[in-house]
Amino acid sequence: MSDAPLRAQPLGDSAATITFGAVRSAELLRSVHAAAAAISEASLGVVQDIVPAYLSVAVYYDALEISYDEIARVLLSICRSVPVSSDRPARGREHEIPVVYDGSDLPGVAAATGLSAEEVVARHSGRTYSVDLIGFVPGFAYLSELDPSLHLSRRAQPRPRVPAGSVAIAGPQTAVYPLDTPGGWHILGHTQTLMFDPDNTPPALLQAGDSVRFVRVG
Amino acid sequence: MISITKAPPYLTVQDQGRPGSRASGVPRGGAMDRFALRTLNAIVGNPFGAAGLEWALGGGVTRFDSACAFAFGGAMVAATLAENVVHPFTTLYAHVGDELKIERFTSGRFLYLAFSGGIEVPEVLRSRSTYLPAHFGGLGGRMIARGNTLPLGAYPPAVPRNGFTPPSELLPRYETSVVRVTRGTHAGLFGDGGWTALTETEFTVGMASDRTGYKLTGQALSHAFGDLPSDPSCEGAIQIPSDGNPIVLMADAPTVGGYPKIAVVSEADLPLVAQLNPGERLTFTPVSIDESQHALRQRTSDLNLIRSAGAASA
Repeated sequence: MSDAPLRAQPLGDSAATITFGAVRSAELLRSVHAAAAAISEASLGVVQDIVPAYLSVAVYYDALEISYDEIARVLLSICRSVPVSSDRPARGREHEIPVVYDGSDLPGVAAATGLSAEEVVARHSGRTYSVDLIGFVPGFAYLSELDPSLHLSRRAQPRPRVPAGSVAIAGPQTAVYPLDTPGGWHILGHTQTLMFDPDNTPPALLQAGDSVRFVRVG
Repeated sequence: MISITKAPPYLTVQDQGRPGSRASGVPRGGAMDRFALRTLNAIVGNPFGAAGLEWALGGGVTRFDSACAFAFGGAMVAATLAENVVHPFTTLYAHVGDELKIERFTSGRFLYLAFSGGIEVPEVLRSRSTYLPAHFGGLGGRMIARGNTLPLGAYPPAVPRNGFTPPSELLPRYETSVVRVTRGTHAGLFGDGGWTALTETEFTVGMASDRTGYKLTGQALSHAFGDLPSDPSCEGAIQIPSDGNPIVLMADAPTVGGYPKIAVVSEADLPLVAQLNPGERLTFTPVSIDESQHALRQRTSDLNLIRSAGAASA
């Protein structure tokens, strides 16, 4: 991506972001994930964390060991050497997550989309999703892209508590709630798969760049 | 071992946090005022990363079930050890059965207690800090309650003498409410007017303030671009939600977010923000990233001087 207009900026004293573009797209996201992987493979001793997002990757570093100017130079050099995304094969692990489609919003989603509940389930479980981003709470993976017929805005009234394991949709994305949290997504079902376990390394089952299929088990 | 015989409304185990798991959505976490806890660790001969207690919202009593050296500091409190008045940022030796009474807070928000050997709860993701939202770390992922006991680690080799206190110029200072900031990743979206408003307005800490973030009021910083695609965030980032009132992200803030970030508080000054109570005021003053990182290195150098002075007194 040597022609891409990469931009480095400080994010406080101990992080730098490298921004790849201004408009969100699947291609830009692949570039960000490829850059995050390349930075990780460089195994820089001063780097503590690498967090890819939609437009940028942030690298958290030990500011007592290296200045912003120095780390920015190193990171830009690594990112510029990453092949353009379309030349690079998909990376990341593949996951299958068993789902019982018994969610309390399934009838409502069927009504709102004009599909049968059976068809909603078929369209949700019938494709492979990619992990765009991890965030919101530990282990929460934003997966895309949902079948266009299932794109709905969030619930008008978020629920104060969505149980861990809930499989839900909102907009073009789907996700599994890793913890009991408030939430406004439409719940289609649930899984027993543990999405976040602080005793594991890494603690989140899904990482940015992985791919996911939901398998109907009920 | 120590026992909590009267718990304050908020009490958790904290250390310097758990960098290394942000890609899994785990915030750094750790002490809200990391410099206070590091200073106290130096004063009791611990490594800077040792775990201590983070204490807020009122008084309480701790009993020493084994003899140890300890120190307290951060928020200003009235405190006694075995009925004698004791002072902050000072090495104190407790005997078995002594009680440390925190009577009341006089200023500040988070009090820290460090004990020689550190609080030895199990590490989770390489840290002992409590992360309440996901119920892990610290004492079973929860707040410490009356009757709980906390194990201490092995006594460190060079504990400063009883009564040791570092030169005052090396200690954390909380007198100023002027907080240094660097430009955030979206500062440009707010234009010169937004930046001027941020750095020339006196803001007030709102009631909605906790370990995740402090909401400020003073002047709404309007912007016309709505929410952005989620992007990485950090402790100290000042984000502007749709109502325009800034939120300073604190230790437990999510790793990514969709609100634009106009500025980031210098790490050296983050304790000044952390120690503010709702209703208290602050202003932001701009510095370059070089100046901000220099301030961070200066604070770290001060901590090393405290450690050397303490070791020399041992």
